[in-house]
Amino acid sequence: MRIERFRRACVALVSLSLMSLGMQTPAVAGIVGTSEAIAAGRSQDALSAVQAAIARDDVRAKLVELGVDAAAIEGRLGALSEAELAMLADRIEQAPAGGDALAVIGAVFLVLIILEITGVIDIFKKT
Amino acid sequence: MNRVALLAAALALPGCAASPPLAEGLSRDAPRSIELSATPFYPQEEYQCGPAALATLLRASGVEVTPSTIAPEVFIPGRRGSLQIELIGAARRHGRMPYVLDATAHELVAELAAGRPVLVLQNLGATRLPIWHYAVLIGYDAEQNVALLRSGRKERLEMRWQRFAGTWHRGGRFAFTTLAPGDIPAHADETRYLEAAAGLEAAGQLQAADKAYDSAIARWPDQPRAWLGRGNIAYVDGDLAAAADAYQRAILLAPGDAAARNNLAQVMADAGCPAEARKQLERASVHAAGTPLAGAIAETRANLESRPPPAAACALADRIWPD
Repeated sequence: MRIERFRRACVALVSLSLMSLGMQTPAVAGIVGTSEAIAAGRSQDALSAVQAAIARDDVRAKLVELGVDAAAIEGRLGALSEAELAMLADRIEQAPAGGDALAVIGAVFLVLIILEITGVIDIFKKT
Repeated sequence: MNRVALLAAALALPGCAASPPLAEGLSRDAPRSIELSATPFYPQEEYQCGPAALATLLRASGVEVTPSTIAPEVFIPGRRGSLQIELIGAARRHGRMPYVLDATAHELVAELAAGRPVLVLQNLGATRLPIWHYAVLIGYDAEQNVALLRSGRKERLEMRWQRFAGTWHRGGRFAFTTLAPGDIPAHADETRYLEAAAGLEAAGQLQAADKAYDSAIARWPDQPRAWLGRGNIAYVDGDLAAAADAYQRAILLAPGDAAARNNLAQVMADAGCPAEARKQLERASVHAAGTPLAGAIAETRANLESRPPPAAACALADRIWPD
């Protein structure tokens, strides 16, 4: 009985803290941030508040899907401007992800060897 | 085999743009060689060139981090790597201002000459078959015609300049340095500097952002965004008078700046001056019509009208506000 009650309290506490994390916004009420003002000056980057919130949720979901630890996500989102979040929401699957230059496989490997021999690229000699 | 050869030829084409040797491109006043040999080195672990490169850069700028403390801030398991934007975000979280360099080698050289290593994105594969890699450029030698890098598991990688320039070109010529708050880069560009400062503000690094805005105002006193930024930091600090003065300067420099007028209105509402707030919001909504700021301005107005009448007289009545 007591354990059950304790368990429920824990669940309630954790869900409450997760909710408050989800609602966290870096903006100050009533104030237009400098990065939003800059983005608004360049119409292609401009986002409405609703679009910005959608972009944030979108990136959050994609990061979870791509295996990022949930506890680290809010801190990562908090470091970015609205325009950057929108860019990530669009391109998180295609944007260049610098990783390990030696993690290359199969057919790709064959093509790379040819390119390497012809001197176009330099993955093998110089990393 | 034929198909592979064809594919290889097709892939090779975009990579053929030749870069000149370093000595030919180097401006006359640039040093013939630089090596920031005190730059620390972290051999990368699997897929972790992003955290290793960023830790190298941050350490060189005096921040106590290691690749393993950076990895949870940037690494994406599903992409087996890290994205440029997130490296920039992580640099902000450690109180440094990431400053994205222009797409010419001149800024790389100028930053190295100022003693700052540069994080670069390289495509070690081909344009159509990319292999993305982050490394830290720590110098060059024009006589030897080499770039010097901290890269992967190599503490001191000498790469022929044309090869380096080619991989950087295929990587989209992305490079950034990290500046201590308030420092100005060697080739400071007004717009990019203010974007960098605004990034600190968006990330909640308000002290660092404030120092950056101070430097921007000292360097470009007529830049309205720098005054807007200073006002925003003052407002968060609760200094209404300082915020109002900064927004006023921004408006005088750019009367059509709807963001500065909106923010001034918010300050006036807080200071118990609803009439002035209303006037600024009217001006703001004219300039913001049809832009994404229109929503923010409508919100400020709704908030203003829902407040009870001020208990005290306008606290900022001694000032003259821009029309």
